[in-house]
Amino acid sequence: MHCQTGSRGTYVPTSRTIAGDPLERIERLASENAVVIFSVSSCCMCHAIKRLFCGMGVNPTVYELDEDPRGKDMEKALMRLLGNSPAVPVVFIGGKLVGAMDRVMASHINGTLVPLLKQAGALWL
Amino acid sequence: MANHRVGETGLTESRPPNHHHHHNIPYAVLHGMNVPTSFIHQEGSAFGFGELEEAIVLQGVNIRNDEAKAPLFRPAATLEMFPSWPIRFQQTPRGSSKSGGESTDSGSAVNTICSKTENQLEPESPISTKNTTPLDHQQEMASDFSRTGTSQNQPVAKLPQEKRRGSTSEKQLDAKTLRRLAQNREAARKSRLRKKAYVQQLESSRIKLTQLEQDLQRSRSQGFFLGGSAGAVGNISSGAAIFDMEYSRWLEDDQRHMSELRTGLNAHLSDSDLRIIVDTYISHYDEIFRLKVVAAKADVFHLITGMWTTPAERCFLWMGGFRPSELIKMLISQLDPLTEQQVMGIYSLQHSSQQAEEALTQGLEQLQQSLTDTIAGGPVIDGMQQMAVALGKLANLEGFVRQADNLRQQTLHQLSRILTVRQAARCFLMIGEYYGHLRALSSLWVSRPRESMMSDDHSCQTTTDLQMVQPSQIHFSDF
Repeated sequence: MHCQTGSRGTYVPTSRTIAGDPLERIERLASENAVVIFSVSSCCMCHAIKRLFCGMGVNPTVYELDEDPRGKDMEKALMRLLGNSPAVPVVFIGGKLVGAMDRVMASHINGTLVPLLKQAGALWL
Repeated sequence: MANHRVGETGLTESRPPNHHHHHNIPYAVLHGMNVPTSFIHQEGSAFGFGELEEAIVLQGVNIRNDEAKAPLFRPAATLEMFPSWPIRFQQTPRGSSKSGGESTDSGSAVNTICSKTENQLEPESPISTKNTTPLDHQQEMASDFSRTGTSQNQPVAKLPQEKRRGSTSEKQLDAKTLRRLAQNREAARKSRLRKKAYVQQLESSRIKLTQLEQDLQRSRSQGFFLGGSAGAVGNISSGAAIFDMEYSRWLEDDQRHMSELRTGLNAHLSDSDLRIIVDTYISHYDEIFRLKVVAAKADVFHLITGMWTTPAERCFLWMGGFRPSELIKMLISQLDPLTEQQVMGIYSLQHSSQQAEEALTQGLEQLQQSLTDTIAGGPVIDGMQQMAVALGKLANLEGFVRQADNLRQQTLHQLSRILTVRQAARCFLMIGEYYGHLRALSSLWVSRPRESMMSDDHSCQTTTDLQMVQPSQIHFSDF
């Protein structure tokens, strides 16, 4: 299964984005794909989380906020959403917020991540 | 305390050859007794000369050990107590002693002792601080002591002499006796002063210690951020030192919890009772992970290099701790019997932890690559800037160690969910014992005898080897 390993994930053209509340934008982007990761290209933990999903056979949609003109605002919005932790990486599955790396790993270990992925259609068997 | 005292009033280093080392009679016991008085009253060999002999030897040994503390060697204080061994002292010139002409008297020896003792505290007596050759005097004394055969005979031999002297000149004996008594009182007084000074020193050290502990507690609660060398104690940062301390305490608790698990299992407690014990153990693990969060902030390199663990554990180290999938692999075979569902659960757990480990490892590798790119050669426009960027990247290490610890913690929790209460109790006991064995292995490894260091003449070579065991490596068992 092909997986984006580079720093640029599936890039969403800016023409599709509508000026407005960054959080709204985040939520909209998150709902457009089964697995959405907000990342920063230079962030190593983001790299780790991408590797995790790729290793599971999932093809996540990645938004590199440092390559987005409105990335800064979105980072701030994410920080508010998560409460103080580093803004990225943040994972949405099936349009719903899963969380940062620790939540994602915890859900993988306790066995809830795979069912969630299957439910969202990101994983088959 | 005995050592301290002995340091001032003990034998020289030349030990009588017929004595052996490693006795441990508290000098204070002997010195505390008002022996001279009783002796002078000629209660004879009712007194244990054997003990005295031991004490003399002991003091000799302790002097050797306490060389740093006692620059001036002193004749055995017990000799003080047996002033009737004058023959030896008569032979040693005591021109410097107070009792000028009384060179033939053990009293003179006592005086010399006193004077030398005073040198260390405060020179009360008008006598001198004649340290000219105290060592020689004492060595001569000691050699006299040994030359004349076993000491056992001497005191006894002196008794009749004492008696004889007493009978020939009643008045003379009284004077001598009185003088000796006075000198002994003086020596006892000096000893008491020394003891007081020592106790005061101990007290102040204790106060200092409690103050230090309070400071430590305060700074720990405030959460400090330290560079590697800031506030360093030796080569270790204070963040690392504090964690090491907390970790060793955690290990002690671990032992306690493990024995609770053991007794709980053997006692066939009800599931609900056992559940309480198991949950307590899980909280105990949660505690170390909390401590590691703080430690990662303070000194991530200390965690990631495994300097807080023993060598054997260190070789299995993954991102500052154990590798969860390895732990599960170790447990799988020992956890039988498992239901099919449990087996699936455990294998699924192992699989997902492997995936998570792999992801974190790759993330760390990218960090290393990025760091290398930053600091490796190439056109350096701004060295400081380069370093600043590198520092920023290094800061990410903390995040990785935290995620690794998070993974470890989640794995343990999941294990307790999959297993029954009894299985979970056995499982945690197995984990604890496994690491206990690993730690023991480290200790044995460090203290193993090395061929190159063996030499025929050194009968205490094994002692040296055991001393090679680094305390830090024995005490710290790892997680």
